[in-house]
Amino acid sequence: MVEVSRVSKTYRRGDGTPVAALREVTFSIAAGEFVTIRGASGSGKSSLLNIIGCLDTPTSGTYRLAGEDVCTYTDKERSKVRCRRIGFVFQSFNLLPRTTAVENVEIPMVYGGGWVDRAKALATLRRVGLGERAQHFATELSGGEQQRVAIARALVNDPPLLLADEPTGNLDSVAGESIMQLLTTLHRDGRTIILVTHDEHVASYASRELVLRDGQLVSDVTRANQPLASATQ
Amino acid sequence: MNVYRAIALALRTLSRNRLRTCFMMLGVVVGISSLTALSSVGESTRQETMHRFKRMVGTFDTVIVRPGAGRTRGMPSLTTVPPTLKFEDAKAIAAEVPEVLRVAEVQNAFDVDVKYRERTDAPAIFGVSSNWMALRDDEVAQGSGITDEDVQALARVAVIGADVKAVLFADEDPIGRTVRIADVPFQVKGVLASRGAGPGGASLDNLLLVPVTTASRRLFNRDFLTMLIAQLKDPEQGDAAVARITALLRERHHIVPPAADDFTMTNPRAAMARVTEVGSTLSKVLTGVAALATLIGGVVIMSLMLIAVSERRKEIGVRRSVGASRQDIMVQFLLEALTISALGGLVGIAIGVGGTSLATWLQHLPPALVWRAIGGAVTVSVAVGLVFGLHPAWKASNVDPIAALRA
Repeated sequence: MVEVSRVSKTYRRGDGTPVAALREVTFSIAAGEFVTIRGASGSGKSSLLNIIGCLDTPTSGTYRLAGEDVCTYTDKERSKVRCRRIGFVFQSFNLLPRTTAVENVEIPMVYGGGWVDRAKALATLRRVGLGERAQHFATELSGGEQQRVAIARALVNDPPLLLADEPTGNLDSVAGESIMQLLTTLHRDGRTIILVTHDEHVASYASRELVLRDGQLVSDVTRANQPLASATQ
Repeated sequence: MNVYRAIALALRTLSRNRLRTCFMMLGVVVGISSLTALSSVGESTRQETMHRFKRMVGTFDTVIVRPGAGRTRGMPSLTTVPPTLKFEDAKAIAAEVPEVLRVAEVQNAFDVDVKYRERTDAPAIFGVSSNWMALRDDEVAQGSGITDEDVQALARVAVIGADVKAVLFADEDPIGRTVRIADVPFQVKGVLASRGAGPGGASLDNLLLVPVTTASRRLFNRDFLTMLIAQLKDPEQGDAAVARITALLRERHHIVPPAADDFTMTNPRAAMARVTEVGSTLSKVLTGVAALATLIGGVVIMSLMLIAVSERRKEIGVRRSVGASRQDIMVQFLLEALTISALGGLVGIAIGVGGTSLATWLQHLPPALVWRAIGGAVTVSVAVGLVFGLHPAWKASNVDPIAALRA
């Protein structure tokens, strides 16, 4: 499903000096995998996730999503890919203020081309266990609840690929644990999940672990003994 | 994202930020309400001025030709008027100048005694052709006006103004009575409807009409006119008509350059333009101020929208990440600015129209619901939203979603 081939990403600092965030990274992820990308801060894992999520394009190398060279797409086409095929979950939840939980979940439907389906948004909220909190504003929810809303938002257009950037980073361990349980359940339902973390414990939920260091892929380990890794290639 | 959805989104965002929305609307409300009010009051005043002016000079689509170069000082009388303007000149103008609808022949005099029994009055005496009434929009309150037959037959008939009737007849019915104009007996055949006060406050009803031929042959014994009034088919053609009439009269009077015209022309339209101009200078200044207020309203929208864009970077990032294209973001912010400005415009129009109705009611002006002013206000407020929303919307569409989401 995800094919990353010799992808490099170079940023320019404010003073013009180039910084290599990714160097010649190559790997592929099959549909239905649960993969973590682990690395210290600055290792390039978020840059990689942004490229996979079609928010960014590589400086060199190719990235294919479901066989399509999405990096050559226009902004509109890549927006459509993000809308239909990718769900994002962020460390800081990123719910919109002055907007209720269910309205947050509805946002991706606004750009999907179909109708904004309130019933579907509510059903998705129930699926993450927040059916009764639908009319609450983001500020009235706990961190764990906010992240559940964010996950519901990522799921509402039913994308096959779910990208999570440190989803438990801002949560206490109990809430973090339940979020990981939720992601595990979603994976079991057949979704491909790519999760960026620096936390080894979080990484242990996944069936496969990529490790980045200084923008290079240094390790790619599949845990054959992971009981949850049912759909691994 | 379709437009309906985008508008719904804009309305929701604005309703969740009421205070900000109100501030953003304020400038446009002030500007548009004063623009609406000013143009409505201006239009109402202009209409009223025109109405009054028209009542004073008769119709305003006329060119008045008087004999003699330059304005004759004082009131024209048969002794001070040069005998250069002839009946034939009037006929020639009517026949040869295509812009002219009809030409009234006038021979007027003042200080002529009019007597009925023991009462005496000295109204302005107008010898007129039969088209005078139609040209002046005059109506008879009683009896009938001067007809073609009267003119042809040199009939000794008179149509009197309301003031003359009051002085000579009081409550008596004047129709059929005989008055003596300069000791010549005339039968009263009609009474003109009152026109009220003229420019200087003098009454416009102190006059007496007789057939121009009768005035010429039986009253004053003169074969020239003191005035001829050419009514135009189209008031806009005043300048062309003046040029043609000038050329025609110069030819007829055998005037060759460098000799000056032996007649003078006044175009009441030009005079009316001067009358309405006085009011319009002030209203132009005020309209300028109101336009400036609207402009400032637009700048307020722009600056607050720019602040909103930087405050809502995270929202932009989230929307982009879940599938909004740059264009979607641009449309969203542009529509917010547009909605604010249009709502501000609507409130402004409501206030402006309300204020205008109150003002016209207080000043006893005709109520003027000026659709043109309202249409203009709508256009202006939409344009303000578009123009001043464009830059913030463009900025919003250029927010880097990665940087916005990381923050």
